[in-house]
Amino acid sequence: MTIVNFIIYLLTMMGIYSLLAMSLNFQVGITGLINFGQVAFFCIGSYTSALLVVKAGAPIFVGFLGAMTLSGIMGYVMSIPTKSLKTDYWAIATLASGEIIRLIALNEDWLTDGPFGVMDIPQILKGVISKDAYPIFYLLFVVACILVAYFILNLLTQSPFGRNLKAIRDEEELCLSLGKDIQNLKLKAMVVAGVVAGLAGALFTFYIAYISPENFRPIETFLMWAMIIVGGRGNHLGAIVGAVVIQLFNVSTRFMANYVPLSTESMGSLRMFIIGLLIILFLLYRPEGLIKEKKKLYE
Amino acid sequence: MLSIKNLSKHFGSLKALDGVSLEVEGDSIVGLIGPNGSGKTTLFNVVSGFYEKDSGEIYFNGERIDGLSPNKIARKGLCRTFQVSKAPEKLTVLENMLLAAKNQVGEGPFSALFRRQRVNKTEKANLIRAMELLEMLQLSGLRNDYAGDLSGGQKKLLSLGRIFMLEPDMILLDEPTAGVNPTLRVQLMEAIKQLQKLEKKAFFIIEHSMKVISSICDKVYVLNFGQKIAKGTPEEIQKNEQVLEAYLGGV
Repeated sequence: MTIVNFIIYLLTMMGIYSLLAMSLNFQVGITGLINFGQVAFFCIGSYTSALLVVKAGAPIFVGFLGAMTLSGIMGYVMSIPTKSLKTDYWAIATLASGEIIRLIALNEDWLTDGPFGVMDIPQILKGVISKDAYPIFYLLFVVACILVAYFILNLLTQSPFGRNLKAIRDEEELCLSLGKDIQNLKLKAMVVAGVVAGLAGALFTFYIAYISPENFRPIETFLMWAMIIVGGRGNHLGAIVGAVVIQLFNVSTRFMANYVPLSTESMGSLRMFIIGLLIILFLLYRPEGLIKEKKKLYE
Repeated sequence: MLSIKNLSKHFGSLKALDGVSLEVEGDSIVGLIGPNGSGKTTLFNVVSGFYEKDSGEIYFNGERIDGLSPNKIARKGLCRTFQVSKAPEKLTVLENMLLAAKNQVGEGPFSALFRRQRVNKTEKANLIRAMELLEMLQLSGLRNDYAGDLSGGQKKLLSLGRIFMLEPDMILLDEPTAGVNPTLRVQLMEAIKQLQKLEKKAFFIIEHSMKVISSICDKVYVLNFGQKIAKGTPEEIQKNEQVLEAYLGGV
């Protein structure tokens, strides 16, 4: 891989993870829903788009729509236990839901081809765009998706809906006393987050063209958490910055293996060590992250 | 308007409320007093749906409300404040006010995205009302401060402001003036009186200050050990021997 292609690959992965981090931030940073199963959305989005296109022969844009829809429905399903589970217990339940989705992908061979994954996934406009220009084209497509998602999430956060969500995050009982249907609001927040993460899943699928359950291990959720801890919660720009920083460490250490005198295995451990260290340092010395939640000012 | 019949609430073997019955008429200001631990706040928590009752009935505007969730009771026009004020930390004072506003568009994602104009219009109208109220509560200078950074007294004022934004029919206030400076306290009392006269709101107020109670309440209930021990005008209550005994421990 040439250095230019590697940088484009890195940027594209940063972009896809930005969407996942933005979605997680919408749940954790805006609504206060501690989701440890974020990878479930990613997995559902990826598999739905892949299976729709490869197995059902649907056009790619249907793959995208299907991924976003099913992932949104997953958000709805995951929001149901918030009715009876307190924050921390719900967090544990979400951890399980992430694994359940991956295990379904791993074991339901008739649908997902199990551990072999889904292969030969077609790519968007592959025939139209030249092979050399394709990586940059896809990167621009991912960036466009981020801009749209950013714009919509920002609009929602600035709206009365977003204000309600932040109030739930800070003082749930107060919201009840003001007549807010917090269950319904959490549900809507989860659906919005699910749709955004589903989009990321589809973008991932059509980018790497081969997915398997290996792509959706719990460690992915952990990476997304690292992104919002480092980048900052409660604002969408922080999620993007966090995704850039963490992916830089995550991917570039893989690349650096050729240049430093360390075995591939120790590079892998070192990578996780560095990210873990980053989380600890940020929680200790800059708990608000690189970019602080912005205050909404009125004159 | 609010009618409580034979309400009981136990915590283990402790009878926090023991067969309490009382009435709050619309368009009146009713006080609720009693020594610490007599069950005042528990009564508010049960009436507003935050605690489940053990037995008894609660009617609001002729409709039975016990067993409903807190947000449904609030939607019916019966709202409360908390003894220890709650203020969303990372929302500004002004956002806190707008959060409570009764008429809002854009509380869900669809209307927030696709009905932008109506959202902006109602937000603007609510903003004007919010600024008026903040002016009255002497909080307008702090409008862009995070509610989490306010002092205890200021949070009390803010919770009053929020409840006024909500425009309920009846307001349960749990020690609204605790921690508020004396000058402002008088103004607050005036504001409550005015609101009751102009907008025909009913108030049910827990207060420790007899001064506040006698200056605004039409009627006072007294609780002790979860039981209603007296009912009357503030003057009558101050002379009631049972009440004096409850407060002073038997003279």
